[in-house]
Amino acid sequence: MSETYISVNHISKKYDKDFVLKDVTAVLHKGEILGFLGPSGAGKTTTIKILTGQLMPTSGEAKVLGIDCQKIDERIYEQIGIVTDSSGVYERMSVYDNLKYFARLLNVPLADIDPLLKRIGLYEHRKKPASKLSKGQTQRLVVARALLHKPKVLFLDEPTSGLDPSTALEIHRILRELKEEGMAIFLTTHNMEEAAKLCDHVALLNEGVIVEYGTPEEICLKYNTVKKYRVQLTDGTKHVLLQGSDTAGRIASWMEADQIETLHTCEPTLESVFLEVTGRELQ
Amino acid sequence: MKHTESSTGNIRSDGRKAMTLKPIHARKLAAIIDVKGRALFSKNFIIMPVFSLGFTFLMKILYERVSGGTADMNAYALALGILMNISMMGIYCTAASLAEEKEKNTLRTLMTSSVNGLEFFLGSLIPVVLMSTAVNVLCVFIVRLSMTPAQWGAYLAVTTAASIIASVVGMILGIFAKNQVTASTITTPAVLVFMMIPMFTGFSDTLHKISMFFFTGIAFEAVANINSGLPAADIRGIAILTAELLLSVILFLILYRRNGFER
Repeated sequence: MSETYISVNHISKKYDKDFVLKDVTAVLHKGEILGFLGPSGAGKTTTIKILTGQLMPTSGEAKVLGIDCQKIDERIYEQIGIVTDSSGVYERMSVYDNLKYFARLLNVPLADIDPLLKRIGLYEHRKKPASKLSKGQTQRLVVARALLHKPKVLFLDEPTSGLDPSTALEIHRILRELKEEGMAIFLTTHNMEEAAKLCDHVALLNEGVIVEYGTPEEICLKYNTVKKYRVQLTDGTKHVLLQGSDTAGRIASWMEADQIETLHTCEPTLESVFLEVTGRELQ
Repeated sequence: MKHTESSTGNIRSDGRKAMTLKPIHARKLAAIIDVKGRALFSKNFIIMPVFSLGFTFLMKILYERVSGGTADMNAYALALGILMNISMMGIYCTAASLAEEKEKNTLRTLMTSSVNGLEFFLGSLIPVVLMSTAVNVLCVFIVRLSMTPAQWGAYLAVTTAASIIASVVGMILGIFAKNQVTASTITTPAVLVFMMIPMFTGFSDTLHKISMFFFTGIAFEAVANINSGLPAADIRGIAILTAELLLSVILFLILYRRNGFER
């Protein structure tokens, strides 16, 4: 078992009279991506705030890099990176100067900035004021700043929300590379495709409660109770067939006659599992 | 998930624990001072020192024409200039700078980048006080008031103390400001009170008495005292400056401990 970077044990959080997190338990190891998947208001951001020491849990225990989140001070931020929707940039400063400022704060050699800008795809914009960047470029700058000090754990709160598909794909590529390099990534999203594609484990969060936890594959297969196949034939007709000996016979005969254009299994997606478990849409 | 964080009793906000317990890292402090100092030269803030210098120059020209260039009137022009500088630069620039960090979401980013509250506090205050002091010095040259080295020392001590108090007051008001617009709205009454009351002491004994309890009033009076060959501030004035400095810092700490730099 690889090194545990985050452990969350039965944490709850109450705002006034309402619980926004209830008995949440999860674990994140080195070189893994853990996704908290849920709609707005599910408690994803609250979880990140607790784990990064910005909020105190009402009960339970959470540790990041072995440090109790209730005892976190600013030194932890030298080992973790945070990207949230409230991560701002200094608009009057250039892209390079933004990173230079944080490099000085985090004791990072200035020579590390240009390679990071190249990796994140902002090198050609390094002299541009941050105010002139597009939304996608600004998000890349925020991600670059979070990666500047090579953190052990990266927290990403809806990192691709509102971004164009190409920027989102670029961020996914970077996250996979970082994971390969051993970084542990805690990701929140309401995008099930993103979660399924990137995460080693996901927690489906609804109204502060983890309703399912496991690998995306495990969760989807667990709810694959009615097995179905979707077939499109060469004549354009489409069929959805339930698992059974009749179906096996029909598919075999189509195959023999080379009439199958496409053939898919119909296991549930994370989104359909979420809908089945909670009765709510993710988006 | 969006919540009003101040509605809860157990928010750990922006490094408030760090304000009193953590050491200051020279490297981080220097970086903050550098960035905050450069921000003071942006169009949002540079207007304040430029306006103070311009106002001092204008007053000097006007009083020269009226009085024939007596030292008393030059000193009065200087007093008006530093009054404006200390009030506007110290209070407004500090508050607006903090509000801008909140408005642009960079404050939280800083605080989650291993900067502690004390480092941010000092890093925000020092550039404002330095620029304010530089303007106070330039104002002397604008009005061409001659001072002995001892008078220079006293002048700098009193005006710098007043600038520090003004900056802490600005920081206190900045806590209540969500953005630069609210910072402007919140600081305007304070700037007017601290600027206008000393300015109009010549018209009313009551205003003069009130003014002598203000850091701006003591700085205003110090110029007249220096020009008359008297000590810049008496024991009472020094005691008031010290008390106001302590009071403002204590008030800031009380507010800061509630929810950091957020309201």
